[in-house]
Amino acid sequence: MALASAATDSPIQTTSETNENNLQTFFVLHKASSRKSEKRSTGTGKTRRRIDLSPSSPRKRVKSEAERAEEWDELRYEHLRMEAFELVWSRIDSTIKDVLRGINTNVLNEIHCWVCESFNAIKSFGTLGFAEATTSFPIVADATCKRLFTGIILTKNMEFVDDLLTFEELGLSLRSHGCHVANLSSMDFSAKNGIGGCLRGLLRQFLTTTLDAADISILASWYREQDNHDTPVVVIIDDMERCCGSVLSDFILMLSEWVVKIPIIVLMGVATTLDAPRNILPSNVLQCLRPSKFILGSPAERMDAVVEAVLVKQCSGFSVGHKVAVFLRNYFLNQDGTLTSFIRALKIACAQHFSMEPLSFILGDLLVEEKQKGEKSGLLPEIILKQASQLPSCVRNQIADQTSKSLVHGFSELKRLQKCWSSVVLCLYEAGKCNKIQLLDLLCEALDPDLYISRASNNHVELDKDFGLGMASDRCMRRKYSTLQKSGVICQITRKVRDLPAVMLYQLLKSWESITVDILEIHEKLKELQSVLRCEDGNLKQNVDDISKRHSSWNSLNIEKDSKAINEKAATLLDCLVRDYLRPIECIPLHEIVCFKNVEKLQLALIGDPRRRIQVDLLEFYKILQCSCCSKSGNVLLPSMHDTSVMYTLAQEHGDLINLHDWFQSFKTVVLQPSTKGKHKPKQSPLSKKRKYKYESENKSEASIQARFCRAVTELQITGLLRMPSRRRPDCVQRVAFGL
Amino acid sequence: MEIDNGVEEEEEEVFGFSRNYFLAKELGGSGKKSASKLSDIDLVDEQELRAAASDIEPKHEKEVVALVNSYRSLFPKWVFDLRCGFGLLMYGFGSKKALIEDFASTSLTEYSVFVINGYLQSINIKQVAISLAEVLWDQLKTKRATSSGNLPKVEQPFSSRSMDDLLAFLNGSDAQDKDCFICLAIHNIDGPGLRDSETQQYLGQIAACSCIRVVASIDHVNAPLLWDKKMVHTQFNWFWYHVPTFAPYRVEGMFSPLILAHGNTTQSAKTAAIVLQSLTPNAQSVFRVLAEYQLAHPDEEGMPINSLYTICRERFLVSSQVTLNSHLTEFKDHELVKTKRHSDGQDCLHIPLLTEALEKLLVEIRQ
Repeated sequence: MALASAATDSPIQTTSETNENNLQTFFVLHKASSRKSEKRSTGTGKTRRRIDLSPSSPRKRVKSEAERAEEWDELRYEHLRMEAFELVWSRIDSTIKDVLRGINTNVLNEIHCWVCESFNAIKSFGTLGFAEATTSFPIVADATCKRLFTGIILTKNMEFVDDLLTFEELGLSLRSHGCHVANLSSMDFSAKNGIGGCLRGLLRQFLTTTLDAADISILASWYREQDNHDTPVVVIIDDMERCCGSVLSDFILMLSEWVVKIPIIVLMGVATTLDAPRNILPSNVLQCLRPSKFILGSPAERMDAVVEAVLVKQCSGFSVGHKVAVFLRNYFLNQDGTLTSFIRALKIACAQHFSMEPLSFILGDLLVEEKQKGEKSGLLPEIILKQASQLPSCVRNQIADQTSKSLVHGFSELKRLQKCWSSVVLCLYEAGKCNKIQLLDLLCEALDPDLYISRASNNHVELDKDFGLGMASDRCMRRKYSTLQKSGVICQITRKVRDLPAVMLYQLLKSWESITVDILEIHEKLKELQSVLRCEDGNLKQNVDDISKRHSSWNSLNIEKDSKAINEKAATLLDCLVRDYLRPIECIPLHEIVCFKNVEKLQLALIGDPRRRIQVDLLEFYKILQCSCCSKSGNVLLPSMHDTSVMYTLAQEHGDLINLHDWFQSFKTVVLQPSTKGKHKPKQSPLSKKRKYKYESENKSEASIQARFCRAVTELQITGLLRMPSRRRPDCVQRVAFGL
Repeated sequence: MEIDNGVEEEEEEVFGFSRNYFLAKELGGSGKKSASKLSDIDLVDEQELRAAASDIEPKHEKEVVALVNSYRSLFPKWVFDLRCGFGLLMYGFGSKKALIEDFASTSLTEYSVFVINGYLQSINIKQVAISLAEVLWDQLKTKRATSSGNLPKVEQPFSSRSMDDLLAFLNGSDAQDKDCFICLAIHNIDGPGLRDSETQQYLGQIAACSCIRVVASIDHVNAPLLWDKKMVHTQFNWFWYHVPTFAPYRVEGMFSPLILAHGNTTQSAKTAAIVLQSLTPNAQSVFRVLAEYQLAHPDEEGMPINSLYTICRERFLVSSQVTLNSHLTEFKDHELVKTKRHSDGQDCLHIPLLTEALEKLLVEIRQ
């Protein structure tokens, strides 16, 4: 095949549109134009101002070039939105990093202590002179000195991608304690590069230059040259199970020879079990290791912590709607299962929000405001106010007055309600912890606006005007959701609170107290309950800490009875909190500005599904092209259809092998639109039966039909839907995809 | 609830998939397998076919133009996503080359744009990295010239640096303006020249560099299998865009042989003849020995090298193993001959042509 293509002139070269660039493997399309980048930089300079745009906008309107001004305005708002995105995302990003760091702190400290101990142990073997320490001879004979201190870090996570950050953090933390650290990955231990590859990587990181000759003695002399060679050298291998076993063995053997001369300590990440090294390394290498084990937090733990910080406590003000939350949960559970993918999904949601919602830039300003309190919100130009008042959530609530004051009020109200909401979610989460409730599940339920409505209507609480629901649909929904509610996470949690032992209930109330400390109205209710608790049973309050130890005491029966009542009260309080304060973001006016709801867009951007979509493109191309000629055809193939579509539709009727001859004949029949239907096999009859469509058969020479056939086959080959004929079966191509 | 629905749907999907597969298998297996031969078609001459192929009348021209134009309204959003740090991945049926280049030259004028044509056969990723570094260096120089700052001297030309150094340079450790990046447009990142995993690893590392943003297109339905989770989530950071264009794959398909171009017979025989005619008579004779053996033993995997040597020596075509080897190297370079390991362990030579083609070829070089 290559033979054929190499020697022939490709057809493209004969066409006029052939471009030199098309045949170059790479080229520079254009260089950055400096003129524009200057403009850009002044643009961003301007937008760095806060939203005090109003003085400039009236002036613009005076300038009769209204259109140009509008365009310019749009550009500026785009910059503002970009900035807002950067602000919000950097906030979320740093929060996530902090949270993850927080989870790992204990392990990191533990590892650092162990590194110090190991280093001291190595030093106790004795010190060597410079000359001795930088050459490979004499070989260290003492077997105990040759053992390499190795920390095996169990990540408890099959997906390694989540732990990349952890190992980076580990490197940074050890470095901050004065260790020399090199981070190697499994890529450095490939069979292709051999031991030289990892050694080069090591030298690269320590010496910060690339050397052609990789030799461990270079590292030894480097170590001796350091001002204080009193620090350990730590080598971190992040995913040891993916390393090439033989290269890793060689590496370990080599390091163990040198361990007295260079105090190297190895840290290796393993995903499956602590036994993993035994599966990869031979026993003589295992003997060189002196392993210790460390265990990182589980993925679920990390997930909950991230969700709590980002979506419940809302570090950035950005939030997601119910459907998006459900999608994120399902994506995490069904598709990928990694925290990294979850964070990426969140980032895409965030970027989508700021690129689609015109008013989203206000969120950035709200964030900035938070920092510089006191100074109240700047004035918004009228046009923005008008836009804001036209948001569906505002229309529903009939917030008609377009003053910036009402908008500012709206935002502070939004903020307040959000805060209440997040506190209640945290209270629920706290209560559900002993029940192993996943925060993400709870979040999905807490964000559900329908549940909120049904709760509200069940309890005959005055419904907000927010929901323009008719009575009939209301009742229907109530029925539907009351069952949902009963099986829901929130209901489970309330039930659990009823059965909670007194000690735990006391602790729970304590934690609730600290969660709600900022929200006066909830806090007061809580205090009330706590005071009731105190009044009703003085003993309980005093002895609550050791009540678990006292199995049988004189008033245990009494306590039990009383605590049941208290449990009931706590559950009622929780119920009441849920009813009154668990107001999902989508039920709050102005939420469009801070909340991302477009789950379809998110899904499209996050999960490309080329396998399915490319086939759908071909089979239903008229839906995309929206041409008048092919859309009405139903299942009948028409000669006006795209050639490749015709071919692929025809291919559906074949088995896993497509006979080229037959395929060509049916293609020809379709294209030529003949009245001769005898050529068709009966199973293809729908194609030939009712062809009313007349297509002028001009110069459709045999050659052009064959050429079109060829091109369609080539295109199907490029999409990977077809495999070319093999030597064994030169007359057949192979179908690759079956079904969408 | 929703999860159950999702699972059910998924199961249904999997089931549907396997059912389709077995139906297709059945269709191919039990039904009378069509024995029609490709040669039954009255194939037109190669030249004519190529001429016809180069001037196929486009269908739905108006709609295709309208469709592509409708994507132009998305350009600002694409720039936005690019600046947010995502890599854009375009997929959907139809050539996206023109669309991407149009996007690059209208909306990305303030950034340098570097294009890789992944549909070509051999792409040297190291060369790509070197050129990228040079472009970035130029960009930094002009930038510093205006802002009167000093750049550290390049201590070593880029072409002699290692891949790691180049990546480190592209990753720009010195705190730079985050809006100073090169846009890397990769047509067919799943193309034949980029498909191997090492190249993809390097592309991932390049994409992860702070000074690089990637806009890429894929056409193969299985393209996502090229990437593992680390590459997808932390390096490429793809933002998917479904943009079918229905534009013909002109450039992308130019190296694929036309399937009706007698691909296996006339065409290859002709090109092989051209190559052979440029070689010495002795070399042609060696080739003929091999060809005749292959024709005489159609079921064997190939001709053992030592028997070829014996025959050639007998006919005074070669004087030593060295001369034979030089001929064979020549043949292999032109893909006239391939080496196969025989089942009993010895190397065999065979000509990658069908019997008919080989016969034609022998006729041609005899003339």
